[in-house]
Amino acid sequence: MLVAAALALAFPFMVNAYWLSVGVLAMFYAIVAASWALLAGYAGQFSFGHMAFVSLGAYTSGLLVMTFGVPIPFGMVAGVLMCAIVGSGIGFVCLRMRGPYLALFTVAFSEVLRIVIVSENEVTGGSGGLEVTPLFHGRTDAPYYYLGLILLVASLAIMLFLVTSRWGLFFRAIRENEDAAAAAGVKVVRFRILAFAITSSFAGLAGGFYGHYIGILTPDIGSVDQMGLVVAMAVIGGAESIVAAMIGALGLEFLVEALRSYGQWRLVLFGALLLLTMRFARNGLLALAWQQFNAILPLPLRDVVGGKGQLGTGTASSPQPPTARGGGVS
Amino acid sequence: MTNYLLIQALNGLVIGIIYAVIAAGLTVIFSILKIVNFAHGEVYMMGGYFAYFAIALAGIPPLPAVLVAMTLSFALSILVERALLTPLYSPTTERKGDYGILVTFGISIFLRALALIIYGPYPLRPPSFWPGVAVVGDLVMAWDRVFAGGAGIAMLIGLVWFMNRSPWGEALNAVSQSRESAAIVGINDQRFYMLAFGLGGALAGGAGALVGPIYSLSPSMGLLPDTQAFAIVILGGMGSVAGSILAGLMIGVSESMFVALFPDPSRSLTYAQAFSLLILMLVLLIRPTGLFGRTHVAME
Amino acid sequence: MSPLIEACDLTKRFGGIVAVSGLNLAVRHGELVGLIGPNGSGKTTAINMLTGHLAPAGGHIFLRGTRADGHSPSEFAAWRVGRTFQITQLFSRMTVLENMLVPGLARPHSHKVAVTRTARRHLEFLGLAALETLQAKNLSGGQQKLLELGRALMLDPEILFLDEPFAGVNPFLRDRIIELVRTLHADGRTFVIVDHDIEALQRLVQRMVVMSRGEKIADGTVAEVREDQEVLRAYAGV
Repeated sequence: MLVAAALALAFPFMVNAYWLSVGVLAMFYAIVAASWALLAGYAGQFSFGHMAFVSLGAYTSGLLVMTFGVPIPFGMVAGVLMCAIVGSGIGFVCLRMRGPYLALFTVAFSEVLRIVIVSENEVTGGSGGLEVTPLFHGRTDAPYYYLGLILLVASLAIMLFLVTSRWGLFFRAIRENEDAAAAAGVKVVRFRILAFAITSSFAGLAGGFYGHYIGILTPDIGSVDQMGLVVAMAVIGGAESIVAAMIGALGLEFLVEALRSYGQWRLVLFGALLLLTMRFARNGLLALAWQQFNAILPLPLRDVVGGKGQLGTGTASSPQPPTARGGGVS
Repeated sequence: MTNYLLIQALNGLVIGIIYAVIAAGLTVIFSILKIVNFAHGEVYMMGGYFAYFAIALAGIPPLPAVLVAMTLSFALSILVERALLTPLYSPTTERKGDYGILVTFGISIFLRALALIIYGPYPLRPPSFWPGVAVVGDLVMAWDRVFAGGAGIAMLIGLVWFMNRSPWGEALNAVSQSRESAAIVGINDQRFYMLAFGLGGALAGGAGALVGPIYSLSPSMGLLPDTQAFAIVILGGMGSVAGSILAGLMIGVSESMFVALFPDPSRSLTYAQAFSLLILMLVLLIRPTGLFGRTHVAME
Repeated sequence: MSPLIEACDLTKRFGGIVAVSGLNLAVRHGELVGLIGPNGSGKTTAINMLTGHLAPAGGHIFLRGTRADGHSPSEFAAWRVGRTFQITQLFSRMTVLENMLVPGLARPHSHKVAVTRTARRHLEFLGLAALETLQAKNLSGGQQKLLELGRALMLDPEILFLDEPFAGVNPFLRDRIIELVRTLHADGRTFVIVDHDIEALQRLVQRMVVMSRGEKIADGTVAEVREDQEVLRAYAGV
C-alpha cells in the first residue's frame, strides 16, 4: 500500500509530459469507474446513464464559468449539485424499474441528454465543442495530476466509508433481494434514490474536473461508447469492488494510451476483454488474480492477504473456506 | 400541405414496418431466452453491411442480397449465442439477469467498434433495389421504400406463419411459455435457444439490409433502432408479436408526423432521434407491461 | 382487549381472480394462531396484505388500533411486524451475520455493537452461531429457514407471520421449529402461522383459522375446527 502511495505521489517526476496527461485522465476514469461500480455492482442498480452525469457536471460547470464568469471551484460544485438533484430525480422515477428496464431507461436518458446538447448548439457549442477555462495555467499537467489524485483519494475514501457503514449493508441487501430488504425494515425507496444521487455526484465531480482540464467539451463524453469503456474498466477490474474497479480503470486507461498506435482497435480490444471477462472471470480479473495469488501462498499467509484483498468488496470470495475475518463487514 | 403530410405518413408507415420487423426479432429473443438483447441494433447494422458487401464483393443482385444478409445475420447471432450466452442456461450461473444485461451491452460495444474498423466511419450506400420513384396521383415515393415496406410485410407474415404452422415454430412457442414443460415433452432446450436468437438476428439483419439503400449505412446506425425497437416491444407488450407490429406502425407514423410538424425545422431532424427515446422512457415510466402485456410469444 | 392486528373486510383481486374476499380476522397479543386452507385459498395473499407487501383492493387493516393498510413493508417492519416467506428470501451473497445485521441496523437509534451482540444471541438460540461467516447461499435448506426466522427476530417483532415454515422440512427440524416457536411465544411474541402441515400446527397452536377460495370459513379451537363440516368439505375439494 505504501509503495503504491509513494509511486502515485512521485509519478509526475518519473514520466514525461505525455504520460503525465495520461495519468490525469486515468484519475478521471478511476473516479467514474469506481462510482459506477458502487451504483451497479454494489447497489445492484445497472444504470447505463452514468456518463450522462459526467457530461452534465462538465457542461454545468463549463457553462456557468464561461457565461457568468463564476469561479471554477463554484462551477464544479454547482455541477456536483446539479448531478445530485438530477440523479435523485432519475432514482425516483426508476423506482419501479428493475434490471433491464432500468438499464434501458438510463441509456435512453443518456442519449436524450446528448441529443439536446448537440441540438442546442448555440448554448452548448454542440458537436463543435464548448471552450472551457482551464483550472491551472502552467506549462505542466502536474497540478492537474495532483488535484486528480486528491479528488480520487477523497472520493474513494468517501465511497469506502459508505460501503463499510450500515448504508453499505443496506445497498447490498437491496441488491440481493429487494423484497426481503423491505421486509427487514430497509427503506428501499430512500436508499435507491440515495445510491443514484451519491454516485451521480461523483460522476459530476469527475466531469467538472475533466472539463476544466481538457479545456474543450464535446457531447461525446456522454456517449454510449464512453459508457461502454467505463463499464469495461469496472467489469474487467471487478464490478463489485470499488477498489478493483478503480484499478481496472487505471490499468485500462494506461493500456489505452500504450496502444495508441492501434487507433480504433483499442475499443474492439476492450470490448473483447469485457466479453471474455464476463464469460470466464465474472468477478473481474483482479479477483481472479487474487485467487491465484492466494492459492500459491503458503498456508499461514493466506488469510491475511485474502482479508486485504476484500477491501471495498461486496462479497466474500466464495471458494475460500470461512475465515475468522469473514466478509466485508468491519 | 396535406399531400406533404400524407407522404410523410406513408413514409412513416414504411419505417414503422421496418421497426416492427426489428421489434419482432427482439420479441422472439426475449420470449425464449428471457433476456433483453442490447446488441440487437448492432445485428441490424451488420445485416446492412452484409448486404452491401454481398453486392459489392460477390456481385449478388440487390434483392437476393437481402436474403444473404439474413442468412449471415442468422449465423452471426448463433455464433454469439454459443460463445457468450450459454451461461444463461446453466443452473450454476448466478444473477442471470445482470449477466444478460452486461454481456449484450458488451457485445453491442464490441460489434460497433469492430464495424468502425472494418467498414470505416464514412456512410456507405448500397445500390437501390429498384431505382426511381413510384407515382400515384399526387403521391410520390421512392421504389426502395415501397420495396422495403413490402419485403418487411413479407418477413412479418413469414414469421407469423413460421411460429404458427411449422413444427419448429410451435416448439418455440412451447419453450417460450414454459421451459420445464417443453423439456418434459422432449423438446431439447439448447437448440431452440440457438434458433430463437438466430431467428431474431435474421430479422434484424434483414431489416438492416432493406434500409441500406434508403438511409445508407454507418457503424453507429444500430444505436437508435435498438432503443426504438425496445420502445416498440414494451409498448406492444413484451412477448406479443402482434402487439409489436401494431406498436411499430404507430411509432413509425407518429415519428414521421413529429418531424413534419416540428416547429423548428433546423432542429427537427436531431430531435426526431430523441422522439422514440422519449417514447421509450415514457412507456417505461407509465406502463412497463405495455398495451398488450404478455409474457410469452402468442399468435393472434 | 383490543386486537394487536385486525383485518376488516379485506379484499384483493388479481386480474379477474378474487384472491381474498371480505376477510375479517383479529389477532390479539399473545395468541398463537394457525392459518390453513387448501391451495389457492388466499392465505399467502392475506399475509402479504397484513405485512405491507400488497395493498388491499378493499377493506382495512388496523395495527394496534391505527390504520395500516397501504403502507410499505419497511414501515410494517418498523412497527415490529415480522414475517418469513414461503420460499426463503435471504441475502444470498451476504454472510449469515450480515443477514442478521441488516434488519437490526435498519431500526432507528441502533448501534452496531449492541446489534451485533443481539444478532449473535439470536444465532445462538437458533443453533446457527457456528455458521456466522458463511454466505447465506451456502446454508442447507433447513438452516436457511432458521436464518430467515432469525432475521425476522431482529426486528424485535411483537407479531410474527410465518409462511409455511414446515414446508419440505425433515421431522427433526420440524420439531426444532415447533420448540423454537413455543419458546418465543412464551417470551411474549404473537404468532400467525400458515402451513399445510396440520399435524404440526395442531401440536403448536391454540386457535385455528381456515380459509377457502379467499374466504374465512372457520375460526376456533383446534378441536372445533377439526369437526367442522365445511372445513372437511373444502379440503375434500367439493
